[in-house]
Amino acid sequence: MSDFQPVPPASVVLVSGASRGLGLAIVTDLLERGVKVAAFARTVTPELDRLAEKYPEATHFGSVDVTDEKAAQAFVKEVEAKLGVIDGLVNNAAIGQDSLHVHTSSDRIAQIIETNLTAPLVLTRFVLRRLIGKGLKGRVVNVTSICGQRGYQGLVAYSATKGGLDAATRSLARELGGRVLANAVAPGFFASEMSAVLGANQLESIARRTPSGAMTTPEDVVPTVRMLLLEQTNINGQSIVIDGGGSI
Amino acid sequence: METLDRPAVRKLMGEVLAVQGKTLPDDDTAKLADIGFRSLDFSELALRVEDEIGDELNFEAAGLRSIETIGDVLDLLVEIQGQ
Repeated sequence: MSDFQPVPPASVVLVSGASRGLGLAIVTDLLERGVKVAAFARTVTPELDRLAEKYPEATHFGSVDVTDEKAAQAFVKEVEAKLGVIDGLVNNAAIGQDSLHVHTSSDRIAQIIETNLTAPLVLTRFVLRRLIGKGLKGRVVNVTSICGQRGYQGLVAYSATKGGLDAATRSLARELGGRVLANAVAPGFFASEMSAVLGANQLESIARRTPSGAMTTPEDVVPTVRMLLLEQTNINGQSIVIDGGGSI
Repeated sequence: METLDRPAVRKLMGEVLAVQGKTLPDDDTAKLADIGFRSLDFSELALRVEDEIGDELNFEAAGLRSIETIGDVLDLLVEIQGQ
């Protein structure tokens, strides 16, 4: 008979890049469901402060740059001391791009790779080392992008990091079999992000071409992240596209 | 840097297996496959050793080798401490 034991729902979740948008929506949703949540971002926003006031015993928020390895690791240890061992990790922190590759400096390319790919890999390594060393099980959710699977102009380096994180997710799932469920969510373009570079007519046109008739919002992505962290599904090593069918 | 001797590493190995309801045999020639000691169990043991000695183990120093028995695990983890 198999000695299979499912990975339990995450009880202490760390979310990187949680000051606004999808990260903030994930933090809020998990807290409303009784999960202990730690989160960091370069800046702790008033929205996070309000959540900390509302859930003082279930939160630990801090100002950390995800590329600062020592600061991120110190933050993880603080979380352990206050909330317990992190058994759920959401790698959400990322920086964007809006420049053709030939006009993107090598420094900017390096910065995008460091923030969007190296930093989450290093943070994941640190969290997993503490988890596995204690004989525990956990879940990892990487926030990638439709850019990791489809081509878009102005997003060459960004797409490379998201595709890389999708690939790492699969290998993590294989490497950590039985102990950790590793998955990714790959949202389509958020209307809020695109509105900065596109006009209203262009946004309307994109929405019209999307089979569901709407561009993606953070609230569309939250239920899938919640499921991957809390539900018993046996989904592992997958990158789940959430884009209204825009990429099909 | 503090190091763990072979009996201390063996004790930690026993603890990793005990959590899973398994017992570490006394015989160092026992096969890992037979006692259900898997690759992630090895990782857990190595991380526990690192936690005890306060330093990361350097697996690159060990070179490629076959790890099939309890003795192989103990030899490796004792050997690479401090390297």
